[in-house]
Amino acid sequence: MAKSTLAAQSAFTDLKTSKHAALTIEVLDDLTMASIASSKGRAEEVKAAIRAAYGVELPTTPERVTGKGIAFIWHGPDQWMAIADRGAGMRDIEVELKPVLAGIAAVVDQSDGRAVVRLSGPRVRDVLAKGVGIDLDPRAFKSNGVAITHASHIGIVLWQVNDAPAYEIAMFRSFADSFATWLTHSAAEFIGH
Amino acid sequence: MRINCPCCGERGIDEFSYYGDATVTRPDLTSPTAMAEFVAYAFERANIPGPHRELWYHAAGCHLWLVVTRNIATHEILSVESARDVALARNANAKGSA
Ligand SMILES: [Zn+2]
Repeated sequence: MAKSTLAAQSAFTDLKTSKHAALTIEVLDDLTMASIASSKGRAEEVKAAIRAAYGVELPTTPERVTGKGIAFIWHGPDQWMAIADRGAGMRDIEVELKPVLAGIAAVVDQSDGRAVVRLSGPRVRDVLAKGVGIDLDPRAFKSNGVAITHASHIGIVLWQVNDAPAYEIAMFRSFADSFATWLTHSAAEFIGH
Repeated sequence: MRINCPCCGERGIDEFSYYGDATVTRPDLTSPTAMAEFVAYAFERANIPGPHRELWYHAAGCHLWLVVTRNIATHEILSVESARDVALARNANAKGSA
């Protein structure tokens, strides 16, 4: 049977990357992602394997660590999400991680299972405050901080990328348009419709 | 009400689901008095106003099961523990006393 080639489609039907004085929205469509779930009692071996392969320490608290061209997001006890740019070389983080973690963790591709958006700009905290119950004040939440929570009842994983401030938000792909509806309503007073 | 999840920190009640009494343990199905024991396990509650141990699930967060000790008259939360740790400690105690 011939291998079918499907054109990549954004998880967001209408939400596009757009820059405003108050808020910049970036749709991150070109990511490769895999979830890592340590096998029972093997978390220390998982951490050692990632340390050897990428030179980073997997976080055991809600934080993000970044290595060369890769980030690991805390995703619950003994669980992480690995994220990288797919790029022209069509990097596949699941294929890359499976041999590194063989026998000690479940590694599952999430690239097409999640939608990710980056939000930044001076009013980003005001926009998020309308649906996210986490205190994002810089005294309470810092760069590389991670929160598994919900935005207006849509399950999300949120992490702070830098002090600009910029945040990235991942959700199940099928919720992307619901999230976009909430986001555009929440941002409307700052960026218009 | 806010619950201080050992993984995530303090979160609003909207992120958690309540799963009932944490003081009861599932009876042995093969016990000759299993029916009476299951009735007690499922239904019989003293419901005393004051501190109570309850199972909560961090459904919209890290998915950890928790044992929350809560004063059911005032809603004051006295402690939050990982249900896994509680169960492991209970099993270790049961083994130690056997
Ligand atoms: Zn939690």
